Formats: sequence, structure tokens, C-alpha cells
Amino acid sequence: MPAVIRLDQVGVTKHERVVLVGLNVAFEGGGAYSLLGPSGAGKTSLLRLLNRLDDPTCGTLWFGDTPYLELSPLILRRRVAMVFQVPVVFPGSVRDNLLMPIRLEHAHAGTPDITRALNLAGLDAGFAERDAAQLSIGERQRVCIARALVTAPQVLLLDEPTAALDPTAARRLLESISALNRQVGLTVIMVSHQPEQARTVGGQVLLLVAGELVEHGPAEEFFQQPRTDQGRSYLERTLSGRQE
Amino acid sequence: MNAQQLINPSWWQLGLTVGLVAIAIGVSAARGLGLERDLAIATVRTFVQLIAIGYVLSFVFSTAHPALIVGILVLMLAVSAWTVAARQRRPTHALRLVVLASLTSGCGLTLLLATEVILRVDPWYNPYYLIPLMGMVIGNSLNSATLAVERLDSDLRSGRERVEAMLALGATSTQASAAATRGAMKAAMIPIINSMMVVGVVSLPGMMTGQILGGSSPVMAIKYQILIMYMIAFSTAVTAFMLTTLRARAYFTTAHQLRHDMLANGDAAR
Repeated sequence: MPAVIRLDQVGVTKHERVVLVGLNVAFEGGGAYSLLGPSGAGKTSLLRLLNRLDDPTCGTLWFGDTPYLELSPLILRRRVAMVFQVPVVFPGSVRDNLLMPIRLEHAHAGTPDITRALNLAGLDAGFAERDAAQLSIGERQRVCIARALVTAPQVLLLDEPTAALDPTAARRLLESISALNRQVGLTVIMVSHQPEQARTVGGQVLLLVAGELVEHGPAEEFFQQPRTDQGRSYLERTLSGRQE
Repeated sequence: MNAQQLINPSWWQLGLTVGLVAIAIGVSAARGLGLERDLAIATVRTFVQLIAIGYVLSFVFSTAHPALIVGILVLMLAVSAWTVAARQRRPTHALRLVVLASLTSGCGLTLLLATEVILRVDPWYNPYYLIPLMGMVIGNSLNSATLAVERLDSDLRSGRERVEAMLALGATSTQASAAATRGAMKAAMIPIINSMMVVGVVSLPGMMTGQILGGSSPVMAIKYQILIMYMIAFSTAVTAFMLTTLRARAYFTTAHQLRHDMLANGDAAR
């Protein structure tokens, strides 16, 4: 599989503090990736670069064969969609929310399949007419995912999508995310605070520590046999329940 | 009543009104408000500032040189822009320039239309019209501008998740900040709408009162008051539109990214 997104020596420095350093990563089309690491490791900063909400201080991001800087950010963000930690729904019905990305475009590209987007996000078609403000947090997060899918992106970025959810809702959401990857072939890149979530989603694990990529490999291998000391100590600390 | 019958208060009579402020200071002291010092300073400032402007205006009206008049109008705009910026948490040069540009377009256009197209004052720089009308328009636009900047800044800062959620869906920075700019424009427009609703019923505006005291007929006075209210409504709308548009832009990069330096510290040090 060719890389859908590639990072070439990408680094971020904010106020003289190093946030990300020397990242070389290729995200393959159709892959599932979990970005793990302690708080402040740069996971969210990396995800924001991929959606071009921020630009790196050095290095180049590539979308296919095109550097990020040569693409319109408006088009890029429809191809590489992002869902945030805290779900934001806009006033109106779920349908209004799902139509928003289409309405934002100056040239409307036909009518999107609302029902399909809802189903992919694990919601039934009846949700379309519900008032978005009345939904539970878990349902809102699914609406956010459905809304991100409306533009038929190639990549879905998720920033700790289960952070605001109870364990049951979190597990169900992860299963939906996994299904999006396995059944629809969507490339999924998810930031997670809990390594066991990477097991549910499968695919590859990227471990960031202090802005550096210290591990990158299949999730199962990472959990059985981390290659680095940092990987081992991260797993020991987080799996023994001492969350940072 | 005509102008000849207008009482010209002597300095001695004005001195008596200081007694009124002295009573106010006494009330403050009796109630422990701690406002005595501020009231005293304000009393002196009112006196000194108004005496000064009285003599300046006498000079300007007697000289009536167009360059001088225009210079005074520009000075009024600049002082207003600095005042609006100073009200914000971190006034910066960029903010001052944005406010100046907005006030200049809003108030300048209003004054131009009112004096040159509608009233057709002669000569075009006639200070008897330009300076008081500009004063009224700027005074109101300045308050609106302050409200607009405050509202826009607080909405963009507190609504960061919402703005970035829209950007992530492919919104332009204009689309992503539209809700905040609309809110800010509304905040700026509401005071003048309220004034227009109650003018003449609850409030008698200062300019109208002044004209009547100055010997004008009430009908003449209300004509000018109507003109002024409409001028202020127009100027407020133009100023708020320009200001919210320009100010919102400062929050984004050309790649439609929210600028974190603006969110964290107010304006970035540039």
C-alpha cells in the first residue's frame, strides 16, 4: 500500500520548547494507527499537523505525492478529516450537522448520503431528525464522526475520541472505529491515552515520548515485546493503572 | 426664547456649582465610598479640559482653516482609537491600527455623507457643523467599537473548540468566525438601537437640549437630532462591520489556522 500521508523530518518548536522532533513516518492507505504516549508527548500536536490546524516548524508533510503546503487547506481537511476529544455539535438537528461540511463549500457537490454516514458511525437513520443539543456525549461523538465522514475523506483523525465517554460507550465507539477501518478501508489515525485501546483498534502503534517517535510497529508485537526501554516502561506504567 | 435672552453664566455663578460637587464629595466621605479623591480629580479635569477645548474651538472657529479642521478631525479619530485599544487586556499596535481604520471609515464616511451630500455645508469644512457632528458620531462609535472588540475577543477565545471544529470540516476562517463576528456586531449595534427606541420619550439627548438652550426652535432641534441618530446608526454599523472583519482576521493565518499566540496572550508581540 502506498503512503497516503508521509512525514519527512517533521519537527515543531513552540516558545523555544521542543514539541515534536525529527519525525519520519509513513501512514499507509487503509491502515489503522494508534498514537500512544504520556501526556505532553506531542500526540495531539502531531494529529493537528495532519489536519493542518498547525504547521510544523521544520520538515515536510506529504499527502500522496503533494506537499501539504501546496494543497488548499480547505480541500486537505475534507480529505483528512478530524474528530476532536470534546465533541462539538452545532445548533439544529443531526441532519443540519451532517450537512454543514457540504454547506461550507461554495460549489455544492451533490447531496451527501446522510443515512450511510450515520450508519458508518454506528447510529441508525432515525437520528437524522433529532436535536443535536439533546444527545448524550457518546451520541454527539458519533455525530461528529458521521459529520467528518460526509465529505468521504481518505483519512480519519481522532483525538482521544473516548475521553469523555463511560467505559461501555467507549468500547462500543472503538468497535465502530475499528469497523470503519476494516470494513470500509478508511485510514484511521487515533490518539489514545490508554494503550489497551490500541489493541481493540489493531493495526500499528506509534509511541511518542517527549516529541520523539520511539516505537513504531504492529500493535500485537508492541504489547508482547516492546523494542525499547521507553516502550517497556510506558506499558508498565499505564497498564498497571497508574495513569498520567 | 432667542439667543439674546440666553443667560451667560458668570465665572462666579459657575463657582457656585462647585459647591454641588463638594456636597457629592461629602456624601462619598460620609458613606465611606472612598471616591472623594477621584471626584475631586474629575472635577478639576472637567474644568480644565472644557476650558481648554473652549478656547481651542474659539480659535478654530475664528481661523476656520481647512487644514486645521481636518487635523482636528484626524486627532479626534486617533485619540478614540487609542482609547478603544487601551480598554483591552493587551493593547497592541496592530489593534490600534485596526480600530483607527474602522473608526475612520465608519465616522469619516458618515460625516462626509451628512455634511457634503445631505446638508451641503458651505464652505465644505465649516467647523460649526463638522466638529460637533464628528464629536457626536465618534463618541458613540467609540463605545460600540469597544463593545465589539471585547465581545469578539472573548467569543473567539472561549469558543476555540467550536471554531477549530468548523475549520477541521473545511470551513474558511471567515466561516469559522462568522458566529463570533455576528455576536460582536450585534453587541455594537444594540446601544444605538435602544437609544433610538426611547429618544424623545424617555431621554432628551444632549445635543437637542443644547440647541434649545442655544435658542433654536424645538422643531429645528429635533431635525438635527433625527439626523444625528441616523448618522450614529450608520456609523456604528460601518465601524462595527469593518472592525469585526479586520479583527477576526488577526486571529487566523492565511492557511485558515487559529493563531494560538492570539488566544494565549491577547495579541502576539509583533
